[in-house]
Amino acid sequence: MKQTIPRQLMLFTAAGLLLTVWAFPVIWGILTSFKTERDVLAYPPVWIFTPTLDNYRAVLSGADSILPNLWSSIVVSSTATLLTMLFAVPAAYAIARLKYPGKQTSGFYVLVTQMLPPVGLVIPYYLVLQRIGGLDTYSGLILIFMTFSLPFAIWLMVSYFEDIPLEMEEAALLDRAGRLRALWYVILPQVRGGIAVTTIFVFLNSWNEFMFSVLLGGNRVRPVTVAMFNFISVEQTQWARLAAAAIVAMAPVILIGLAAQRHIVKGLTVGAVKGGGRR
Amino acid sequence: MAAAQAIDSGALALARQERRFAWYLLGPSLLLLLITTTAPLVYLGWTSFFRLDMTMPWLSGFAGLDNYGKMLGDPRFMNSLWLTVVYTSSTVCLQILVGLSLAMLVQQIPKGQGLLRIAAILPIVLAPVVVGLFWRTLVLAPDVGLVDLVTRALGLGSQNWLGDPQLALISVIAIHTWQWTPFAFLVFLATLATLPADVYEAARLDRANAWQRFRYLTLPLIRPAIIMVVIMRTMTALSAFAAIFAATGGGPGSSTEILNLYAYRTSFTELNLGYGSSLAMVLLGLTLAVSYVMFKRRKAAK
Repeated sequence: MKQTIPRQLMLFTAAGLLLTVWAFPVIWGILTSFKTERDVLAYPPVWIFTPTLDNYRAVLSGADSILPNLWSSIVVSSTATLLTMLFAVPAAYAIARLKYPGKQTSGFYVLVTQMLPPVGLVIPYYLVLQRIGGLDTYSGLILIFMTFSLPFAIWLMVSYFEDIPLEMEEAALLDRAGRLRALWYVILPQVRGGIAVTTIFVFLNSWNEFMFSVLLGGNRVRPVTVAMFNFISVEQTQWARLAAAAIVAMAPVILIGLAAQRHIVKGLTVGAVKGGGRR
Repeated sequence: MAAAQAIDSGALALARQERRFAWYLLGPSLLLLLITTTAPLVYLGWTSFFRLDMTMPWLSGFAGLDNYGKMLGDPRFMNSLWLTVVYTSSTVCLQILVGLSLAMLVQQIPKGQGLLRIAAILPIVLAPVVVGLFWRTLVLAPDVGLVDLVTRALGLGSQNWLGDPQLALISVIAIHTWQWTPFAFLVFLATLATLPADVYEAARLDRANAWQRFRYLTLPLIRPAIIMVVIMRTMTALSAFAAIFAATGGGPGSSTEILNLYAYRTSFTELNLGYGSSLAMVLLGLTLAVSYVMFKRRKAAK
């Protein structure tokens, strides 16, 4: 394609604008997290300032520390992710590869469960967990996290299983113990990449979850997404602290996102063909 | 003959065995989904027929269709329904328009696409609640927010972006669009990269202009991708909650209170769980109806 200079210039301006709109708010947040509260509210905004680590110190130790919340997030998200994958991978294999009566119906059922509005689920959970004393417990929150991660993980894995060449189906001629072994030794290695991508997506979604966490958690189980509100109140917003806390809370997902960026793009498109994601 | 029969019964046994194996693998997941999604929804439906107000617990009891009847005369409900339609349709349209235009521009950039892709991934991986708080403080706050810095520099003065009812609605739409347009952009960028170059070459030889190439080549070719993005983005918009909750909490007043927020506030702020349940049932019905129509249309398009 022939490209004239002004045309190229236009394209790069568009790209620059794009970078500004998407990346700049995040960069601004990072800058803010190193400012003092006074520098934050300065007008005109200060670009050159003495960076301070006070905000990070405050959110990582002392009364305002979000470390316990990070721990809550780690426990809930990783357990929910692990359990989800344990359930989802075999189920996805069955839906993608095996013949059984009710195959279409079960696949459709999983798809529908993925579209349910969270607010519709949280009301009955709240009522039930309150009655059985399951509010503010790890097991309650983990179980509930699986409602949105399991359908999503199953459908994403189905698309990966469907990509395996059909010759692998020779495993179907083995006996049942053989089937399991074939699944483990022959089929699963073929979808290693898919398992990794799915795990990443499930973890991201769990880490970022908010509505279930704020309602079904409490003082003991309080993920970081909920803890953000510690720094914001009607009387006063602690801007720089909030920025620092947000950076700390989002660091894991940002790092995972950047490290797995190629897979994320693929995961978005692959998973999208069939079921798709939900947040 | 006997050999053929033996093979037949062997194949039958295999098929039976495959069936059983499938249910072993699938059973646990289906059971879990039944317990964690279907059963709660049945309970939600049941609750919606009750009067269940935590501020007046002594009045609790079966109420029949009262909650649903109450909706018809509830202006706040009508408002939230309308806002849901506005919010969903505008964010989805904006994401498709902006995402597709950006992808078509960026596609022509020979180098540096990787950097843009990284920038695009940032908003997607952030928690919506953090995005909402970020915008509320750093981007939209009066006087010191990024947007106000720009408008003040341009001499347009400062606006109360989240405090004014109309601006607040525009703001939450902008927040959602900001966070999820990169998704549409990345999907379209990946789709555009798979389009056959020779077809475009032929079209150029036939002197099709840029608009004609877009209208009669690109658009039909990426149609499945567009439909898919519309479906996924609609589902996300319909269940949007955290970003609005963080940015405005549904306010000021009820100016950004989409159905999600209204059901939440009714149930957990005003503690009227019965009425909240019926509102959530409406949202459930709306979501299922929309996805049914979309999947039908998608099948028809194929």
